Amino acid sequence: MSAAARVLVVEDEREIRRFVRAALEHERCEVFEAAGVAQGLAEAGTRKPDLVVLDLGLPDGDGVDFIRDLRSWSDSPVIVLSARTQEADKIAALDAGADDYLTKPFGVGELQARARALLRRQERRGEAASPVFSFGDVSVDFPRSQVMRRGEPVHLTPIEYRLLCVLIAHQGKVLTQRHLLREVWGPGSVERSHYLRVYIGHLRQKLEDDAAQPRHLLTETGVGYRFQP
Amino acid sequence: MAIAAAACAATTLMATPLHGVLDLANIVMLFLLTVLIVAAGLGRAAGVLAAFLSVLLFDVFFVPPRFSLAVQDAQYLITFAVMLAVALIAAHLAAALQREAQLAAGKERQTRLLYELARELAGALAVEQVDEITRRFLREAFDIEAAVLLPQPDGRLAAVGDADARKPEPVLARVAFNNNHTAYDAEHAGGRYAVGWLPLKAPMRVRGVLKARPLDPAADTLYAQRTLLETIASLVAIVVERLHYVDVAQASQVETAAERLRSSILSALSHDLRTPLTALVGLADSLALLGPALPAAAMDTAQALRDQAVRMHGLVANLLDMARLHAGRIALRREWQPVEEAIGAAIQLLRPPLGEHPVRVDLEPELPLLELDAVLMERVFCNLIENAAKYSPAGAAIDIEAKRHGQDVTVAVCDRGPGFPPDKSAVFEMFVREDHAKPGVGLGLAICRAIVEAHGGSIAAADRVGGGACVVMTLPVGNPPAVEEEQA
Repeated sequence: MSAAARVLVVEDEREIRRFVRAALEHERCEVFEAAGVAQGLAEAGTRKPDLVVLDLGLPDGDGVDFIRDLRSWSDSPVIVLSARTQEADKIAALDAGADDYLTKPFGVGELQARARALLRRQERRGEAASPVFSFGDVSVDFPRSQVMRRGEPVHLTPIEYRLLCVLIAHQGKVLTQRHLLREVWGPGSVERSHYLRVYIGHLRQKLEDDAAQPRHLLTETGVGYRFQP
Repeated sequence: MAIAAAACAATTLMATPLHGVLDLANIVMLFLLTVLIVAAGLGRAAGVLAAFLSVLLFDVFFVPPRFSLAVQDAQYLITFAVMLAVALIAAHLAAALQREAQLAAGKERQTRLLYELARELAGALAVEQVDEITRRFLREAFDIEAAVLLPQPDGRLAAVGDADARKPEPVLARVAFNNNHTAYDAEHAGGRYAVGWLPLKAPMRVRGVLKARPLDPAADTLYAQRTLLETIASLVAIVVERLHYVDVAQASQVETAAERLRSSILSALSHDLRTPLTALVGLADSLALLGPALPAAAMDTAQALRDQAVRMHGLVANLLDMARLHAGRIALRREWQPVEEAIGAAIQLLRPPLGEHPVRVDLEPELPLLELDAVLMERVFCNLIENAAKYSPAGAAIDIEAKRHGQDVTVAVCDRGPGFPPDKSAVFEMFVREDHAKPGVGLGLAICRAIVEAHGGSIAAADRVGGGACVVMTLPVGNPPAVEEEQA
C-alpha cells in the first residue's frame, strides 16, 4: 500500500475514535478526526481524504445526509459504522453512496481489512481491467463471456452471468438489493427481490463448494450481497 | 257543521232579495261557491252537508212553487241533481286540497325538526352529548322520554352515563339490537305502546338502541310517528358510528405514539450500551498494535478483555431483542427467500466463534421459498447454532436439515451434546438454562420461539437418535410467488 493514505474518521465517541485511529495508523494511514457532521464535512473539504470512516449515529445530524453531501463533490470511499438493528439506516447509507459498513462492535482486524480493500480499489481505479478474473477455483473470461470451474466450462444463463459480472465489478463492496435489481433486471424490477435471491442461489449452486456456506457470494442480511474474491 | 249550515243560510238570505233580479241559474252559482268555500275551509264532511243543504234551500226558497219542497217544473230535478253532483265533487276536491296542505305543513315541520336535530348532533364530540341532545329533542318535539343505550366493554347494553354493571340489560333492547328491528312494550291499557326500542342502524352495523317512552300514556305517538322516530334513530346511529371511528383513529394514534416511544427508548438504550462495548472491543484489540509489542501475558489479558466484551455484547443484544420482541407487536419485514440464505448468513456470522465445529447443511432439493424476516431468522439460526456448538463436544459436527412436509417446511438444528432435560417445553421459557455450568442467561431459545411464532410457525425440542439434541422449527409455506424461468 502506498504510504500516507488520508483517512477521515467522523465519530462522536472519543474512545472509538482513538482505537480507529490506532488501527488505521498501524496501516500507515494519515488520520484526521471529526466529532460531528458539520466538522466532518469541513474536514473532508480541506483534507481531501482517500477514505472516510463514518458513524451513522452522530449527534448533530444524519450520517446519510453527510454521504449525500460528500458524494456531490467527492467519490472517496465511505465505510459506515452502525448497529446491528439498523438495517434500514445501512441501506439508506449504501443507497446514498456509502461503500461498506461495519456492525458495532467490530474488531480492529475487520476494520483494517475493509479499509485496505477500499483503498486498494481506489488505487486500482483507472487501471485497465484484466480480461480474465479468477476467484477460488472459478475463472471468468469477460471477452468470451465464459465461466470455467476447475477447468470445466460452467453454463450460466444470461441473467446469472450479468449478475455475476455486476458483483465482480463491485467486488468487496456491499450492494443493496435495490441496486442489484436495478442493474441486472432493470429499473422497473426493484419490487421483485425474490428473483434476486433465487438467482444468487443458482450462482452459489454452480460456483460455490457448499451453496449453504458460501465463501464468495456472501449475504449481508437485510441489506444485500457482497462478492468476496 | 254549524258553520256550514250558517253559511248556507246566509247565502239564502243574501240571494232572497235578488230573486227575480237574477236568473235561477246564477243563484245556483252562489250556492256552489258557498259549498266550495265551506269544503276548502272546513273539510269534507262540512262540504257534503253544505252540498245537501244548498240543494234543499234552493228548492224551498227559490224554485217555484216557493216555500215548498214540491217542484212545478220537472226539469228542476235535473238542476238539483247536477247541482248536488257538482257541489259534492267540489267539496271532495277542496277537502283533498286542504288535507294535502296540512300534510305538507306537517312534513315541513318534521323536516325542520330533523334538520335541527341533525345540526345539533353534527357538533357532538362525545356519546354523552349525543344522548343529551336526543333526549332534549324528543322531549320537546314529541313529549317522549328517550335514552340512548350502547354496548359496554362487557357486551352488555346500557344507557349512556349509566354503565352500572349490576343493572341487567333490558330484554327488549337486546331483542331490538340483535334482530335489527324495532321492539315494543305493549303494557299500557288500550293496547297503546308504552315503550319502543329502536335499533341504531348505522352503515357498518347496529351501534346501539334508542329507547322511547311517551310521557302521556294515552298518546299513540310511538305508532303515529314511527317513521320519524326511525329516521331519528338512524341519525343518532350515524353520529354514534362517526364518534366510534374517531375513537378508533385516536386509539391507533396513541398506540403508534407509544410504539414510537418504545422503539426510540430501545434504540437509545441500545446505542448507549453498545458504544462503550464497541470501544472496549476495539481498544483491547488495539493493544496488539502498540510498539514495542507487549509481553505475551499482557496480550492474553487483552484477548480475554476482548472476549468478555464481545460476550457482554451478546447478552445485551439478547436482552434488547427480548425487550423489543415483547414490547407490543413484532413488526416483521417479510420477504420471500430460500431458507438456505438465512442459514448461510448465520454460519458466516458465526464462523470465527464456531471454531472447531464443522457445520453440515443438508437441504432437500426444490424447497419452496419461505416468507421470512431475514434479520430475525438469521438471529434464530445464530442462536440455535451457537447453542449447538456450546453443548457439543469439541470437533463434533452440527447438522442442519430442512425438509418439506405438506404445507410446512421443517428445519432442524442438531448436535451431539448431552441432549435436553426431560421437560423439553421449558427450555423455550425465558431465563431457563439447560446447564448452569455453561454461560448464558437462557434467553436465546425464548427469542427463537418469539420470532418463529411471529412467523406463524412453531418450535420444539427433541432428542436426537444416537444421542444429542435437536431443535425443530416448523414454518408455513404459504403462497410463494412464481419465479418465471429464464429463456436461455
